[in-house]
Amino acid sequence: MSEDITRRALLGNVARGTVLLTLAGGAGFLIRKANGQVVWQVDAARCLNSRLGAVNVAACNLCTTECVVPLSAVRAVNEFSKCGRCNICPAYFNITSAVDAHGLPSEKLCPRDAIIRKPIGKVDPEDPANNFYEYVIDEEKCDGCGKCVMQCKEPLGLGSITLRIRYDKCVNCNRCAISGACPQSALVQLPVEQALRPQVLKWPGE
Amino acid sequence: MQYRQVKVLGGKGEDPDRFRAALRGIAVDDRGQIYAAGDSEIKVFDAAGACTLRWRTAKPPISVAVAPDGSVYAGETGQIEIFDATGKRIDVWRDEKLLGLVTAICVTSDSVLAGDAADRAIHRFDRHGKFLNTIGKDNPVQGLLTCNGVVNFAVDARGVIHVANPGKHRVEQYTPDGRLLGHIGRFDGVDPAGFTGCCNPTNVAVGDCLYTAEKAFPRVKAYDFSGQLLAVIAEDAFEANCRNMSIAVDAKRRVYAVDTVKLAIFVFEEVAG
Repeated sequence: MSEDITRRALLGNVARGTVLLTLAGGAGFLIRKANGQVVWQVDAARCLNSRLGAVNVAACNLCTTECVVPLSAVRAVNEFSKCGRCNICPAYFNITSAVDAHGLPSEKLCPRDAIIRKPIGKVDPEDPANNFYEYVIDEEKCDGCGKCVMQCKEPLGLGSITLRIRYDKCVNCNRCAISGACPQSALVQLPVEQALRPQVLKWPGE
Repeated sequence: MQYRQVKVLGGKGEDPDRFRAALRGIAVDDRGQIYAAGDSEIKVFDAAGACTLRWRTAKPPISVAVAPDGSVYAGETGQIEIFDATGKRIDVWRDEKLLGLVTAICVTSDSVLAGDAADRAIHRFDRHGKFLNTIGKDNPVQGLLTCNGVVNFAVDARGVIHVANPGKHRVEQYTPDGRLLGHIGRFDGVDPAGFTGCCNPTNVAVGDCLYTAEKAFPRVKAYDFSGQLLAVIAEDAFEANCRNMSIAVDAKRRVYAVDTVKLAIFVFEEVAG
């Protein structure tokens, strides 16, 4: 196995652990206090922003506007094991903005600048196209607007970013306000253990 | 340069000339016959578009190539199956390490090149299956960034290997022994001369010029070898969710492109004048 793949696999494992720890950290108290109970979660296979097959549509931001928590409890989560670590990430850049002197789009996509991009591994300072990049969601800024999720979705991206409810932010309303507004019925109640699992997206007909 | 769509082959369906669930790779021979790797078989279409021959493969074929002697190579997971022109299997090369996921094959007079997406590299063998060298892997700038899951390439008449490096928005040129000669291409999300999205182009073909296929939004283009855009061959023909669209070109400069959702092969030809 190559050094690159070994590094990638290692990063993937670390990343998976980070995502799970992040989600589980907030949910730890739920597991302790409410094991066996159900909690709200975004079903990525129903969410318009992440559902495969839905293209040429604007991102839905109802998770931002409808949550009772001032800065929505729904946040974008990047599952690093799926992320391509691309030089030009359509979830980070506005890929239709003018290209700058370095050959990169000149504008970012996120209106709150909530994605952090940094080169990882062996870095070529001369040519950004030669590098891998890590994209981390800044959770203090993200409000779950879903724009990055829509752009990360296949086939444009790899679908590594989805919207997830963060249980350290969620107040677990009996009737989630977002669920009442979501036209896709993408807010679902799941047992705690199931709500924490990474979600698998499938193409229509798969 | 302008192109027009002249024919559609295949499509989704149960009939012998259609594809039930998958159409992954195509190749064209000197006589204009089209070879398609789909479902669990190879189909051969004549130049008029009729399906004249089909045979099953041991595993679902991901890619297909035709050798100068007419033998047909099917790339699969962990192996390459080799058939004669009638579809009779004459050999199989198995190697989990060097043929992990064979997403492209080219056969030249003295070697067989297999794009291995599992290793993000091209592995070169002699015509008897003896491993010779790797291409792309030792590129000093992190090799092929194929986050789309496919290694795709084509070999021109001079023996230069043109490899899609979608993460870098480039097509790179290599010698058969793996030396990087240069590249064409750049990112641009608006100008059609550039490659858009996170990772494009995904697929290439080569003839008198270089042909590329992109995903999101799917389109096929022609470039000269210096990287100058010659034509956008097609961009509205394909289903928007198409990705990793195999392309091929024949001796009459007709361009063939797979719609991976409609499971069809679109044929384009240059408009005179």
